[in-house]
Amino acid sequence: MAAALAAALATTAGVAACSGGAARAGLISVSNGGCGTSWHLAAPGWHTFQVHNAAAENAEIDLVNPANGAIYAEVDALGPGTTSPMRLNVGSGSYAFRCLFEDFDPLTGPTVTVTGHSRGSPAILPVTSTDLIAPSLVYHHWVAAGLDTLVSQTGAVATDIRDGNLGAAKAAWLTAHLTYERLGAAYGAFGDFDAEIDGRPDGLAGGVISAQWTGFYRLEYGLWQGQSARQLTPIANALATNARGLRAAWPSMQIDLLDMGLRTHEILENALQFQLTGHDDYGSGTTLATTGANIAGTRELLTVLRPLLAPRYTGLPAVYTWLDRLQTLIGQAKGPNGAWLSVSALSLSQRQQIDAATGQALEELAPIATITEPRRT
Amino acid sequence: MADNADPGRRAFLRGAVGAGAAGAVAGAAGGYAYRATRPAPTSQRTLENAAAGVLPPVPFHGKYQAGILPQSQRQTAVVSLNVTADGRAELTDLFRTITERARFLTAGGTPPPVGIGAPPSDSGVLGPSVVPDGLTVTVGVGSTLFDDRYGLASRLPARLTPMRAFPDDILDPAQVGGDLVLQFSAGNADAVVHALRDIARHTRGGMQALWRIDGFTSPARPAGTVPRNMLGFMDGIANPDTSDRAQMNRLVWIQPGTAGEPAWTAGGSYFVVRLIRMLVEFWDRVDLTEQENMIGRRRATGYPLSANGIHATPDFATDPSGAVIPLTSHIRLANPRTPQSADSRILRRGYNYDRGLDQVGDLDIGLVFTCFQQDIKRQFETVQTRLAGEPLTDYISPFGGGYFLALPGVADGSDYLARALLA
Repeated sequence: MAAALAAALATTAGVAACSGGAARAGLISVSNGGCGTSWHLAAPGWHTFQVHNAAAENAEIDLVNPANGAIYAEVDALGPGTTSPMRLNVGSGSYAFRCLFEDFDPLTGPTVTVTGHSRGSPAILPVTSTDLIAPSLVYHHWVAAGLDTLVSQTGAVATDIRDGNLGAAKAAWLTAHLTYERLGAAYGAFGDFDAEIDGRPDGLAGGVISAQWTGFYRLEYGLWQGQSARQLTPIANALATNARGLRAAWPSMQIDLLDMGLRTHEILENALQFQLTGHDDYGSGTTLATTGANIAGTRELLTVLRPLLAPRYTGLPAVYTWLDRLQTLIGQAKGPNGAWLSVSALSLSQRQQIDAATGQALEELAPIATITEPRRT
Repeated sequence: MADNADPGRRAFLRGAVGAGAAGAVAGAAGGYAYRATRPAPTSQRTLENAAAGVLPPVPFHGKYQAGILPQSQRQTAVVSLNVTADGRAELTDLFRTITERARFLTAGGTPPPVGIGAPPSDSGVLGPSVVPDGLTVTVGVGSTLFDDRYGLASRLPARLTPMRAFPDDILDPAQVGGDLVLQFSAGNADAVVHALRDIARHTRGGMQALWRIDGFTSPARPAGTVPRNMLGFMDGIANPDTSDRAQMNRLVWIQPGTAGEPAWTAGGSYFVVRLIRMLVEFWDRVDLTEQENMIGRRRATGYPLSANGIHATPDFATDPSGAVIPLTSHIRLANPRTPQSADSRILRRGYNYDRGLDQVGDLDIGLVFTCFQQDIKRQFETVQTRLAGEPLTDYISPFGGGYFLALPGVADGSDYLARALLA
């Protein structure tokens, strides 16, 4: 590495110039020998830099506060010989370019200081993979505990069905399904197990009559369509078996650190697409309960990420405000006897309130994935 | 040297986010310029600008909302929404957010970058810099906003009611009414949907769409005439002259001190939206003479049956029995051109719509009829009542819409829509 860097230094001429304005954009040339070596900032305000990668490797270029490494702006995956704009509102403070070339140590260019008291684009401390490991382990343990519960509850469903207690099986089905949905199995968290445990008939030839369709929704369809215990027993047994299989596999399944942040909005994105539309109502009319379980799963992710988010995301209180409001609205949306209602049975006003709160919660959640994306520093 | 300042990004209940230098676009232009909006030929330059997507910005600030007087643009979307804001403070925040987004979108500019703190602030649909493309955003309130939720019952405009059903209507309740209406009009469909998407994104918790319809204005064919509706006839020929300020004050704008009207409504205008399906397959099976007698104009030329010229005034007085222009024709019933009917004239702003198929495979196309006026009963309802039972009703089927009050304009960078209502 040292030798390569020295060679690169010998062949590099890092040129930098800066001006603002769309017409005279500042050119910032970076290479693995010089990261914006001679640039200046004439004044605070909006600036557009044209960042040019003069090196032979891909680069990530950040404009940072050199005092603490907080990032004002970044250009990700800048290929050799390419140029990309970087735009920000420069305020009072210290600025330096930091270049992260593949296979090279990070390189920080000279610091430029803007005096005075202008407020510019805020800088955010990057989150690293190391930062995410502890939260992901806590989350992994939490899921493991949930899977223990799931195994026991899916076992109970199978027992009820084998015994022909279909009324009891319906109640047990809901309990077990909500346990699963609380685990936030959005977008492939559990790999192939998710299709076995919670798959939809869409995409299967024949749809709801497909023999390939299995899992919670298949069971829901059968229970609420009045299918017989004998017909449903193999499906319930398979569900219990798959739950045990997932529990057994889970200790060796890793959580992609990038997913920790992504899940914070993806779980509810899924709820909006499949539960609040009623798509995933196969007879029980419990998609609002499922949404409630999805909120709980989202909250768990927020809890484990909170130490990283609190100093970085000023919108975090609003996340909780809207999750709380959504949860309250869902709690109020039950029938007179306390039973869950399908979304189509809600009043227009109830449904619009729930959809609005979900949408706003999602907007508030969306920045978290960007902030907690693991970055090199 | 710094770029031009961006406006800060305001979102529902989040205030201005991002560190934008305050972005009040300077200068209250004093309202949308009164310009002739007689549906005469659009200039070649305007057509080219619209096609290229580079229509200049329409000044947002003024005594009146800027989207009311101009001729129909090439594209529009009318969206009815219900307010989900919790209480008066959130409602105020909703109107402030709509205002600030509309102010930015109509002016155009580069959306503020977000660094590593959020997904991009703009959808990018219009490219890296938002082009105005002549965008106007017109906001109205429906009578349901004045129920007990926000303490506004005492401020209900005197002439604002739910839309009534007329004898020939077949209304779909899911496409009627709404607490708010937003109309986005621009040179191109991408600018319209970009603006709708932006405002929806910034107001998710505050309002939820109830129904939506998109419309378009056809080019004048042949060039130099008046755009046609889906019946093949030129539409909106006889409109009040929007360059005549006195006439606008008599017909369109709610005047200060109007009997019964709360003071906050001054500078507003009642905004009627009617969604009218045209049964074009049936229409196409009708003889041309019969079609022209139902309308009262020639299909090819737009001329009144009794005159030579699109804008020629049909002389109903010399044709009292309807020998030339039948008494039941649309133009004669809609605007009899008598002294008694003068104050029932409305400012019509129609758009064609085309949204797919019905259940028997026929085309679901028709007219997004919008009109502005000072008094719905005196104007739109009077006209509509005169039209009841006209022969044309067999070929059209109103199915939705609503009555709204288009709010007074936004005076300047510190003002916001509905400020006087909520004060």
